[in-house]
Amino acid sequence: MSLSANNLSLTLSNTPLLNAINLDVLPGKISTVLGPNGAGKTSLLRVLVGELAPDTGSVTLNGCALQDCPAIQRAKTLAVLPQHSLLNFPFTAAEVVMLGRTPHASGIAHDREIVAQALQAVDGDYLAGRIYTQLSGGEKQRVHLARVLAQIWESSIEGDRYLVLDEPTSSFDLAHQHLTLEVVRNLAEKGVGVLMVIHDLNLAARCSDHMFLMQCGSMVVSGTPQEVLQRDIISSVFQVEATIGVHPRSGTPLVIT
Amino acid sequence: MRLMAPNRLLMILGCSLLPLVLLALMMGPVFISPASLLRALFEAMGLKAAAGGASQDGLILFSIRFPRVLLAGLVGVCLAVCGTAMQGLFRNPLADPSLIGVSSGASAGASLMIVMGGGALLQGGQFAGLSVVALGAFGGGFLAVILVYRLATSETGTSVATMLLAGIAISALAGALNSLLSFIADDEMLRRISLWQMGSLDAANWPRVWIAAGAVALVMFLLPREGAALNAFLLGESEARHLGIAVDVVKRRLILMTAMAIGISVAVAGTISFVGLIVPHIIRLLIGPDHRYLIPASALAGAMLLIVADAFARVVVAPAELPAGILTALLGTPFFLSLLAQKRRVEEN
Repeated sequence: MSLSANNLSLTLSNTPLLNAINLDVLPGKISTVLGPNGAGKTSLLRVLVGELAPDTGSVTLNGCALQDCPAIQRAKTLAVLPQHSLLNFPFTAAEVVMLGRTPHASGIAHDREIVAQALQAVDGDYLAGRIYTQLSGGEKQRVHLARVLAQIWESSIEGDRYLVLDEPTSSFDLAHQHLTLEVVRNLAEKGVGVLMVIHDLNLAARCSDHMFLMQCGSMVVSGTPQEVLQRDIISSVFQVEATIGVHPRSGTPLVIT
Repeated sequence: MRLMAPNRLLMILGCSLLPLVLLALMMGPVFISPASLLRALFEAMGLKAAAGGASQDGLILFSIRFPRVLLAGLVGVCLAVCGTAMQGLFRNPLADPSLIGVSSGASAGASLMIVMGGGALLQGGQFAGLSVVALGAFGGGFLAVILVYRLATSETGTSVATMLLAGIAISALAGALNSLLSFIADDEMLRRISLWQMGSLDAANWPRVWIAAGAVALVMFLLPREGAALNAFLLGESEARHLGIAVDVVKRRLILMTAMAIGISVAVAGTISFVGLIVPHIIRLLIGPDHRYLIPASALAGAMLLIVADAFARVVVAPAELPAGILTALLGTPFFLSLLAQKRRVEEN
């Protein structure tokens, strides 16, 4: 089973945003979407999670067309971390994470345990009792990461689980960027299919099993980091001269600009 | 940092409601002593006291005080709970039911009836215990909300931002209609219009109590089920959808429920401002924004605020009466301001 986009096209107010995109997010694998600003990464994500309806093509979640999938079944198998949150009510951090348990009827004691574990996973146990609106940007983003983790913490009888993240590391310091990748890696090892939009090519190279490189609404190339991160591809897509090395410890490609 | 645990607040509010009701029953132009209050209550329950026949106190209690105190409580519940729902729906702690046009629509409807209805209709025209003016208010309020909802709904769903703008537009339109009606009204009508707009419970009777009780029963049956949905709403509509909430269904339910409940409460008691805005706000300052506690706590606090305000309205200038709408603001604001100050102190330490 998978989270799949089949031949997606999208045009909003006469601007073509996506053009015949095919993509599969497989359980247990980490996929990243890369590309310059305005390449259509966020649009692709929004179509994939059902926030926008495509003009042509379809999205399937574990073989079921996304728009026909019952809301609760969808919520139990697909969690989404947006770039920004609108939340401005004074919940405690633990209460925000608890919102991730909304689709589940697993009992308050069990949910509390999951909330504590999810907060711990993002190095946020010390935040639990603090008021969300008083946290820093990075802390807020970690609380939301914990919230989506709590949403898909346990395997579901509804099918394989997926996590979609839009620039999860944008407001994090170095340590927390790496922590996020570790969290995502652990999640994939538990069988969750992960799709991330990420701007830092080297971070992407270190964690991705599969990369999708977009430009102007089209998929330019997809494959392993070694296949995608090549000198001529990077110079044509990002308009930047780059040298490709090898990361001394992980052995993954290292893009030096 | 929270000022109070939710269950503790619910317990405190729950325990103080009954004593408050009894106290309010005693207060008025004619003071009823605790002893005669008890005697009248026992008489009503069939435990006739030694003295035969209904006492004068009993008469005042059952034909005037009881309906009035109950109506105050019920209207208070409607206003506070619908305010909570609107603040959640709009993700804005400053929202209140008037935002979707219900109050101004109701005012315009009532003014229309006062001005166009003429004297005869005002005296005699009654339907199920409601005057023609009250029916006009309900009609006007409901119509305004439906209009606002329609304007904000397209095939892609209901846009909360558009609803806010449509609410402002419809409110302005209803306000203009109201001003126009005030302009052509004579002195007597003008006084009635402005008194009606201040909100008062002096027209309380048993039929009105039953109508308001129906509204409260419906709202308190339906709304607490949406507590989890409203919590998810605070994250944003997309996030609520990702958490499995049927966003558009919930929105429609909340809007219709508010239109109905506020329409009825405005019809039976006029526009009583402030309760719908400040009560949920006060409760949120005390126990945080979790709607599963916020809704019942706001309901209790709204009932209590309006019962107290109405009791004061009856005694401060006795034998005349002040409109309760003035007193809700006079009583609630100092409390609210002191809470804000206390909250700031807690946060600074």
